[in-house]
Amino acid sequence: MKTKLAIITLLLSLILTSCVQKTYHKIVVFTLDASEIKNIKTVGIKGNDKPLSWSKSSEMRAIKKDSLYQLTITFETGYTFTEIKFMVNESLEFENQDNRRVNFSTTDTTFYKAKFNYKQTNP
Amino acid sequence: MKLLTRITKPILLPNWSQDLFLTIPRIVCGYLLAFDFGAAKFGMPWSPIDNNLGLFEVAFWFPNDVASYGGIFAIAPAFFAWMGAFAEAVGGIFLLLGLQTRVTSFLIICTMLVAIFMQQINNGLWNCLAAMGFLWITMFYLILGSGKFGIDYLLSKK
Repeated sequence: MKTKLAIITLLLSLILTSCVQKTYHKIVVFTLDASEIKNIKTVGIKGNDKPLSWSKSSEMRAIKKDSLYQLTITFETGYTFTEIKFMVNESLEFENQDNRRVNFSTTDTTFYKAKFNYKQTNP
Repeated sequence: MKLLTRITKPILLPNWSQDLFLTIPRIVCGYLLAFDFGAAKFGMPWSPIDNNLGLFEVAFWFPNDVASYGGIFAIAPAFFAWMGAFAEAVGGIFLLLGLQTRVTSFLIICTMLVAIFMQQINNGLWNCLAAMGFLWITMFYLILGSGKFGIDYLLSKK
């Protein structure tokens, strides 16, 4: 009786644990054009999915000073997209509006280029 | 068999209109659990396409959340996450229909107790309200069963 119970428990555990949504590594290269902003001190991204968060912005590095900023992030996610907003000098874009939606590429790295405070269609 | 009949058979109120009145929170809560809270984390045919969930799959982030509760939850996070999500999504449908209402209510009560005391309690009372709402409602149905307007009544009529 005990053996039967153990087998059933084991099988049930195996079945249930295999029913977790699969995750994938999704690499996204975010590039932000902030050329219209003057006196840029900090540029960052906030977002829904880890390693991003809405409480703390992830800093982007300048690839062209006072103009272009970039950050590469690897998400471990089961979703096909993520939502983000850019932040320049502690000012978050699209206040009280929808977030930017970034659809992950199904094959390789996703390149997301955007201009601060301008909506665009996702590549 | 006798036990199953006892569990299924609802307690009927003196007047059918009272049973009808108490059907409203059962249907609303069942609907919200199945089509909103549950469907977001458990793969159902009506789960949002964006969530990319297969049928009966639990969302990838949920076992991580459950593991962070510690104790027994950290030992089998996938199991507890799956059971919790199942109780909401499938249990919600059962509650809505009044099918095995007492068993379903018990599962939902367990899930809501975990949600309140392991997940939301540190975020303040306000964040506990949704789970507490479902908890209070299902506590009543655990005792009463489906009432007259549920499948349990039809199954246990004879």
